[in-house]
Amino acid sequence: MRNVFRNRRHSLFALASIAMGATGLLVFMGFNRGTMDQYRSDTVRSRWGHGQLYVRGYRDSAYTRPWEKWIEDSEAVMQRVRQLPEVVDVFPRVGIPAVLVAGDRTVAGQGEGVDGVREARFFDQLNYIEGGDFKDHPSGIVMGQGIAEALGVRVGDDVQVVTGSGNMPIRRVTVSVTGVFRTGIQEFDSRAFRIPLAVAQGLLRTDRVEALAIALSGSTAWPAFAKAARTALPELEAVPFDELDKVYYRHAVDWLDAQFAFIKSIILFMVFLGILNAVSMTVVERTAEIGMLRANGESRIEIAITHVVEAAALGLLGGCLGLLSGWALALGPLRHGIAMPPAPGLTRGLRIVIALGFHDALEVLTLCIVTSIAGCLLPVWRTTRIPIAQALRHA
Amino acid sequence: MGANGVRAVTLYEVQGVSHRYALGRHSVDALRGVDLEVAAGEFLAIAGPSGSGKTTLLNILGMLERPSEGTVRLDGANVSTLSELQRTRLRRERIGFVFQAFHLIPVLTAFENVEYFLLKRNLRAEEARRRVLAVLEAVGIVGAAGQRPNEMSGGQRQRVAIARAMVRDPDVVLADEPTAALDGATGLAVVSLMKRLNRERGVTFVFATHDPRILAAADRVVQIEDGRVMR
Repeated sequence: MRNVFRNRRHSLFALASIAMGATGLLVFMGFNRGTMDQYRSDTVRSRWGHGQLYVRGYRDSAYTRPWEKWIEDSEAVMQRVRQLPEVVDVFPRVGIPAVLVAGDRTVAGQGEGVDGVREARFFDQLNYIEGGDFKDHPSGIVMGQGIAEALGVRVGDDVQVVTGSGNMPIRRVTVSVTGVFRTGIQEFDSRAFRIPLAVAQGLLRTDRVEALAIALSGSTAWPAFAKAARTALPELEAVPFDELDKVYYRHAVDWLDAQFAFIKSIILFMVFLGILNAVSMTVVERTAEIGMLRANGESRIEIAITHVVEAAALGLLGGCLGLLSGWALALGPLRHGIAMPPAPGLTRGLRIVIALGFHDALEVLTLCIVTSIAGCLLPVWRTTRIPIAQALRHA
Repeated sequence: MGANGVRAVTLYEVQGVSHRYALGRHSVDALRGVDLEVAAGEFLAIAGPSGSGKTTLLNILGMLERPSEGTVRLDGANVSTLSELQRTRLRRERIGFVFQAFHLIPVLTAFENVEYFLLKRNLRAEEARRRVLAVLEAVGIVGAAGQRPNEMSGGQRQRVAIARAMVRDPDVVLADEPTAALDGATGLAVVSLMKRLNRERGVTFVFATHDPRILAAADRVVQIEDGRVMR
């Protein structure tokens, strides 16, 4: 261990490289995790819940009268769902394509009939720029900002919801705008609206529900829930939210993950270069000593192991220092998060909180140790291959 | 024949050894057809001017280099063709080295520098400690056992190096210019020490040197010039 600090300048340089790399990695991973957490929370708590239950096979086909394939006796089914593990709440939903009419303006939309009172307790990430949920209003409507602007309506205005096409009778109902939301996803904000479940079912002349949105104790609870649902409710199919929102959420997550992985590898490479430089100098300085050790019967492997252990110790120490400073940064200057501008396709910026986790710290520490060891292997390999007599003459 | 008239056992038998090495685009013949025998317990000096090949010959005896031609036998066994691993093992078990530049590990104390090479011998800690202290006592440096090399004089460092070479009870100690970095009195003391160890423990000492004090103390001096042993 004394060898780790044999040359203080080199050791401090190597430690600084590792510590800075560890700090950067930890904060970056925390930023990544905070971004994903925020994005996931927005997606779960604004639209989908943690996932939804459908009649098995329903999503694979298109139907002229889709409500005939929906869930019957929804109250009884919801009771059974509430018995499943990790379930916090269940929300019945009905999909309803319709035309919205206000005065002489019409806009086609894709709406949902929802239980306003129940959903208001969980779906709290829908960003209302005017008004709010209709809750127990019997004929309220909330709509995306795009629709509201297209119709020229505001909170308190009346809008007609008109359904029916082809051989389906036209039905209409008048509802009152209680809220205008902006999720940040333009495509959604310009087509989405919500009306009370009973109003939607009335328009479609059905008492069935299309889907049951599920609120769980957390995102990690989905696999356990899905497994239990397969057994208890084999007639239903459980679909997680990232599958329902594949185009935006899943693809965005995959894209961000790939980007973060690339940046992470760049950081690691810079750390590796710093270590390689510091360790190379240290090993070269010890060429004559290595020659002496080999002359006295130490094998190349034994000498390499000694240097690997020293490098691992350096990586561990530098990694710990980096973790401490990373944590101090995250809990200090960065504790309020980082304000980010709107992402492509979005209209709302985010404030990302640096979310540090134990597993991230462990990963960073492991990477520091592994990188340190990797950084010493080449110089040690080269130096132990120098002929002993030549090594002994090294100044 | 030994000093008491008893036929001495041959430790080393060098036959027709030549050694060539590359220097840029040229090759240099460091040794040319060297024949030499070293008896067990001998205090032998290999003398010659700089560049004569004495260090190369010492390196070949110590299996630090392979001869380009010829054979080297240690206790009758041909060691010229052994693998790297076999040579490493043989050096660990039978040969000690003393260098002009001492080559002590700077972050270890004198005690630890000597103890280092016992660590892999599966000795109990107390036994290892006893042996280290005994050899430090033998070389007259036990009082500085807790000091690091940068806290010692040149003479003290060389004594530690000798202790390091002796602690594993080698058959032979190969010393390359061990007194070159020492002043007159210190060098003389080191030579006397090695002579005493040779007498008391029967360890063979082979020196590459042009120090007249070693030459005067040697049982035999082998002159080498331009890679050839002079008769």
